[in-house]
Amino acid sequence: MTRPSLRALPSKTLLAASLALASAGAFAQTATEADLARRLDQLAAELAAVKAQLAQIQQQRATAANPPAPATPAAPATAAAPPPAAASDNTPATVITSYGEINYNRPTKANQNAQADVRRFVLGYQHRFDAKTKVVTELEVEHAVSSASDSGEVEVEQAYVERQVTPTWALRAGLFLMPAGLLNENHEPTSYYGVERNFVETAIIPSTWREGGLQLVGNFDNGLTVQGGLSTSFDLNKWDATSGEGKESPLGAIHQELSLAKSHDVAVFGAVNWRGVPGLLLGGSLFTGQATQAQAVEKARITLWDLHARWTPGRFDLSALYTRGTISNTAALNAALVGNPTLIPKSFDGYYVQAAYKAWTFEDYALSPFVRWEQFNTAKSYADLGPGLTPDAARAERVITLGANLQVAPGIVVKADYQRFRENTDQNRVNLGLGWSF
Amino acid sequence: MRLVVAATSLAAAAAPTTAFAVDYLSAEQAAKLMFPEADTFEARTVTLDAAQLQQLDAQGVRGRSVAWPVRLARKSGQTLGFVVTDDVIGKFELISYAVGIALDGTIRQVEILSYRESHGFEVRLPAWRRQFVGKGIGAALRVGEDINNISGATLSCTHVTDGVRRIVAVVALARRGGSLA
Repeated sequence: MTRPSLRALPSKTLLAASLALASAGAFAQTATEADLARRLDQLAAELAAVKAQLAQIQQQRATAANPPAPATPAAPATAAAPPPAAASDNTPATVITSYGEINYNRPTKANQNAQADVRRFVLGYQHRFDAKTKVVTELEVEHAVSSASDSGEVEVEQAYVERQVTPTWALRAGLFLMPAGLLNENHEPTSYYGVERNFVETAIIPSTWREGGLQLVGNFDNGLTVQGGLSTSFDLNKWDATSGEGKESPLGAIHQELSLAKSHDVAVFGAVNWRGVPGLLLGGSLFTGQATQAQAVEKARITLWDLHARWTPGRFDLSALYTRGTISNTAALNAALVGNPTLIPKSFDGYYVQAAYKAWTFEDYALSPFVRWEQFNTAKSYADLGPGLTPDAARAERVITLGANLQVAPGIVVKADYQRFRENTDQNRVNLGLGWSF
Repeated sequence: MRLVVAATSLAAAAAPTTAFAVDYLSAEQAAKLMFPEADTFEARTVTLDAAQLQQLDAQGVRGRSVAWPVRLARKSGQTLGFVVTDDVIGKFELISYAVGIALDGTIRQVEILSYRESHGFEVRLPAWRRQFVGKGIGAALRVGEDINNISGATLSCTHVTDGVRRIVAVVALARRGGSLA
């Protein structure tokens, strides 16, 4: 460290003074040869220290004469790693990202079940290797603690490499979010209304849904975004007919998340989104793939598709989505499961409509009340197993959610809502949430 | 013909990488696109002093930087307008853009020079950028007010819009201060 008092002194004066002081000390007393040698060493050490300080002062003067480029906008937190030479001078090569949500749910008819939870805590990074190649990762902890005696999970949510092949086309490889619906690829708490993610895009589209594979992403000047590729598929062998998991989310119960994923069956997926008119998004997606992974005698194909629209004129934010999934050959698969509470459904679907309005803004505060109506059925039909054996189709659940998102600062949201269920009214609840994303 | 197109596409794909993920225009190209009638562009750096930064703050615009690169578009010595280039953070990475401002202080054009994000590239779409044209210092220039958002590109839209609003205010201030005469 440079001492401030030294900065003011001209460097030559500083050097001369140091030498004179050191010399005076050396001749002040009679010295043995050893003493002289020691003092000489001391002198050399002091000279080295003065030289280092001089170099530092010169460097500071050079910096003052050539100030760095004007400040760039506040960048997200950057890692200390030096940026690669190929990256822009003012673009950090490594960007740390995070999002999280802490939720409180209080059932109105069964408030003994009130619960507070660190629903998700996600850390990620993007690192740009060169101008056209980057890696994107997210590591997520659900429910705060993951151990043998806790129900939390630690999961790699995304881990893919993206290469911009042409200005229009990019290629992704690895573990990526599937392009389906409105929420799956934009699932940060600041991106959606309500404390909890909507039911349709968690029970029918199993958000956060990711697969491993290859994906091409094309962005066209007319506002079209085209995504498509090959990926891992679901694993129907994981279906647990004794638990209710499959009733909550048929595909959520058999997703593989690229965790030692059975990969005999390869799925095909694609999505098209059009944003050619400002404020309007129209899109759809399709996924289809075999899902018994050559582990069962029977083959079964899982197909999931959706259509979605979002319109944000001025302060309004309106969206609608319909999605439907089917599993083929379930009669043969269910034959071995008859008698269990949860057989494999033949079809499941859901839709929602949602309207939000940015009613109040002050500085960075923005209050957006919203209302969402959704209907979903995780077991809309079962394949015929014969009289007395075929389960009845489930009744569609209908949920209305009324609430508001309050943006406190860009990237920070506080949410509150009330959810009313038409079928399972015991689930009626009040929710509070805090979320962030950067 | 197809062979030619294919060969051109291949050549484009194989061209050496430029500084960023996708570069669309250089600042010079953007300036010429915005003021095609100009015969010269004079590059200046507008430096804001503390009082001007406070004035920006008072207008609800965060000044952020004291030095702003401005190109004065001229034809036969007459100033036609101004082109300001800037960078803002999209979601994770920088978006480079340019704003052309006519003599009456209204926006003539907004161009995206470079985009590096995986999502939200739609700020580059002409339909979205056209929303700025003709708006000036009196306009809200805010997403969700007079500028429509793009679903899935909220942060890119918001940050570019905030940047454009800042540039409009900076140019107006600099002209009042006489540094763009």
